[in-house]
Amino acid sequence: MSKNIRNFSIIAHIDHGKSTLADRLLEYTGALSEREMMEQVLDSMDLERERGITIKAHSVRLNYKSDDGNDYILNLIDTPGHVDFSYEVSRSLASCEGALLVVDASQGVEAQTLANAYLAVEHNLEIIPVINKIDLPAADPAKTKDQIEDAIGIDCTEAILASAKEGIGTKEILEAIVKKIPSPKGGDEKPLKALLFDSWFDNYQGVIVLVRVFDGKVMPGKKIKLMAAGNVFEVSQVGTFTPKMQQTDELASGEVGYIIAGIKSVHDTKIGDTITDADIPAAEPCPGYKDIKPMVFCGFYPTIPHQYENLRDALNKLRLNDSSFSYEPETSLALGFGFRCGFLGLLHMEIIQERLEREFDLSLLSTAPTVVYRVTNAKGEVSHIENPALLSEKYEMIEEPFVIVTILVPKDYIGPILDLCQEKRGTQRSFTFIGKDRIKIEYELPLNEILWDFYDRLKSLSKGYASMDYDFLGYRESDLVKLNILLNGEIVDALSLIVHKDKAYYKGRQLTEKLREIIPRQMYEVVIQAAIGSKVIARESVRALRKDVLAKCYGGDITRKRKLLEKQKEGKKRMKQVGRVELPQEAFLAVLKVK
Amino acid sequence: MPEFLYIHIPFCIKKCIYCDFLSFPYDESLARKYIDALCMELILKKDSAKALKTIYIGGGTPSVLPEENLIQLFRCLRDNFKFFPIEITVEANPGTISESNIITLLYLGVNRISIGVQSFNDDELKTLGRIHTSEEAAKSISIIKEAGIRNFSIDLIYGIPGQTLETWEETLSKAISLSPTHISSYELTPEKGTPLYGMIKSKNIQMPDEGLVIDMYNYAIDYLVSNGYEHYEISNFALPGFRCIHNLNYWDWGEYIGAGAGAHSFIRGYRSRNTDDISRYIEDLNKNIIPEIESVEIKCEDAIKEFIFLGLRKTEGISIMKTEELGLNIPDACKELIDEGYVKVSDNYLSLTRKGLVISNTIIVRLFEKLRL
Repeated sequence: MSKNIRNFSIIAHIDHGKSTLADRLLEYTGALSEREMMEQVLDSMDLERERGITIKAHSVRLNYKSDDGNDYILNLIDTPGHVDFSYEVSRSLASCEGALLVVDASQGVEAQTLANAYLAVEHNLEIIPVINKIDLPAADPAKTKDQIEDAIGIDCTEAILASAKEGIGTKEILEAIVKKIPSPKGGDEKPLKALLFDSWFDNYQGVIVLVRVFDGKVMPGKKIKLMAAGNVFEVSQVGTFTPKMQQTDELASGEVGYIIAGIKSVHDTKIGDTITDADIPAAEPCPGYKDIKPMVFCGFYPTIPHQYENLRDALNKLRLNDSSFSYEPETSLALGFGFRCGFLGLLHMEIIQERLEREFDLSLLSTAPTVVYRVTNAKGEVSHIENPALLSEKYEMIEEPFVIVTILVPKDYIGPILDLCQEKRGTQRSFTFIGKDRIKIEYELPLNEILWDFYDRLKSLSKGYASMDYDFLGYRESDLVKLNILLNGEIVDALSLIVHKDKAYYKGRQLTEKLREIIPRQMYEVVIQAAIGSKVIARESVRALRKDVLAKCYGGDITRKRKLLEKQKEGKKRMKQVGRVELPQEAFLAVLKVK
Repeated sequence: MPEFLYIHIPFCIKKCIYCDFLSFPYDESLARKYIDALCMELILKKDSAKALKTIYIGGGTPSVLPEENLIQLFRCLRDNFKFFPIEITVEANPGTISESNIITLLYLGVNRISIGVQSFNDDELKTLGRIHTSEEAAKSISIIKEAGIRNFSIDLIYGIPGQTLETWEETLSKAISLSPTHISSYELTPEKGTPLYGMIKSKNIQMPDEGLVIDMYNYAIDYLVSNGYEHYEISNFALPGFRCIHNLNYWDWGEYIGAGAGAHSFIRGYRSRNTDDISRYIEDLNKNIIPEIESVEIKCEDAIKEFIFLGLRKTEGISIMKTEELGLNIPDACKELIDEGYVKVSDNYLSLTRKGLVISNTIIVRLFEKLRL
């Protein structure tokens, strides 16, 4: 049976047409009638559709009758398309035997295409190059093929020319999947071994896990064990997505589908874990499991104090579906009660914040994102600092996370980008030409430096042509100091940050200036200071508001004047009262605006 | 039913750089059509007023109108409204004031003139784009006084680019030497869309330092009060018994009828306004249609807000008893503001202190917050 199964993923850079291609494959194989077809079915969350990116992986089973006369089951395993979710991508790829490498013929190879293609190569996947968007006037398939051959080393002579939007090449792609991608190996008779590559919480069914079965079979009634977590559950239902959820009798080796087993929380179902038979366990789990930890942290505070409970409930609900996100209650002297939240990366953070505000109707104030620092004290004890305010004055050593950043850029823009990497404390690791006019550079950089404005500046320095990807390298010792911001002599903990010593003065000056611009004049003078320890390194002040009065108010403009006051009041409502100072939300993100 | 009528005359010889009132260059035939339309509007509105306590003819520059226009307007008023001449004000600008038109106004029953002097410094008058000199202003005032009108008000502006505390003192001193019964002293405010606003944006002109402007404001209050004028509203001063009854009605949250292009009315809880488009104004009224383009009901909370922010413009403030009737707990809400010296309570009235007056918007917004409005 499994010789007629093909498990594959689609890898592509954002906007290179992955979701549209998935739609065409679904349509062509009749998985959904046209009437049922919604644009980009796989991206089910609103947010995903709006941003045009895929956040959670999904799988769909397609039935396809090939030109060779046989019926095939094609399992399309969707992958998240953003660098923050690279581990999830790797687990999805580990569930496949092949991948479609989709490259936009008008854009060429991008950093993420590379990163994911390398991942696919690492997993020994059969890669089928698809040159997409050939209908665009700017399409240059020949050049795109050269780039793929050059950068990834894949033979492109048989690359498929397609336009997912126009439905060109769909059949060729399906045939190539059948012919080129190997059928799954493994045996139904062996002990159960299934890779968990996605899970989510459903209000009615509890946790649903998506698996790729490598060996053995799983069916209702079976006792299964999650090898890394060590928990045992009894299977109540198995099935596949077509893309509608469809119950089946069993999932056999080579198959992809879902398992429901009375699991209460997604925290028990870590992505990359191996599901086996509790009674006859597999000898080895699937390779590559990692317990992934949040890399980026920020504080979330309700702007209206009485929303604290609602925020907690909302965070709890979101975590049901997202095991890579964490939160803990935190108290700030300045902001009151809130939560310190951890994310895989900046995009992940933005998504969560947006969902909290949109789906739960909360008004949030977020502090500037920070990385996790590793601090060793005199006694040799190591602690992890997720909030700069909590860094003590005395310690032996402080380390920060470093990443290796891969950037692809047309050669005309390379100069300023090298400067940018230098400015961000980067060390160059490699510099290679891809084709005649594109360059791939690799830099080791502190994660902290790429959190702030790196991506935006990269984009603007290259007129949008540069793309990047990064991978975690490890912790390294750095000469870091804590920079405190004081308002009228009081430290505002939510504004503290950890910076490199060489940049502290510059940052302190920039930050106080920025805050002076952002903080509106109030009834009292506001003195803004930046300090390292007790040493003040920069000072600015916002003069007290001295005059705020309507000179004239007669019959004609009463409504207008009332609206003016209401506008002023609305502006005030969005402020956070810190001591006697009212701070707008931007103040907490001012640090992001400082170069 | 309203007892206060405002009439707008949207014509000037030349528009000043800071003015954002509705006004067009004076044109004889347009003015004639306009007065015809205005009279039609008054006729259409005659039943919505009780006997009028005040009539206020503002602009623009009502004094640009030829005598026959004024006579026509007042004849229409006499024919359609009942009124006792408690206060009938006409705005007039130096350069358009002559013995004969003042005598006409007097004859028509006008008993109060408000003169737009703005400054007694010729450089400042030039900066503002006024058409007259300080001498002409003084001359106009003597014409008014000689005609026997004792009740007149002088409008002044401070915070003019180039103005110093000394020139402001001179302007004020000259003003009171002419013994007006009333002085309005406005801070020059660059409104969006005015030439002044554009000149500031393009850095062709620089507004005076904020500290200086505050000094000017405080000086005016001290100086005028020491000369017997009562400071009764943020920008208004009057000798005892000469407060402007018409304007007090706005701050007392009273009803009023407006007539003319761009004029506003407040009747039975609705604030409405006429079109700004003078040709449409004339066309509509030629078809017996009131050219109202907007009418908004001022509901509960907005009404309370209006009552507070209008009332606090007056130095006597708002009656706490009245706020209790509205269900507000003013003493509670104002505790902090009283401690900080921005508002005060005396004789059961809540009012802004001098310190509070200059930042009254901020204080009122804080008060709204405390009152959960």
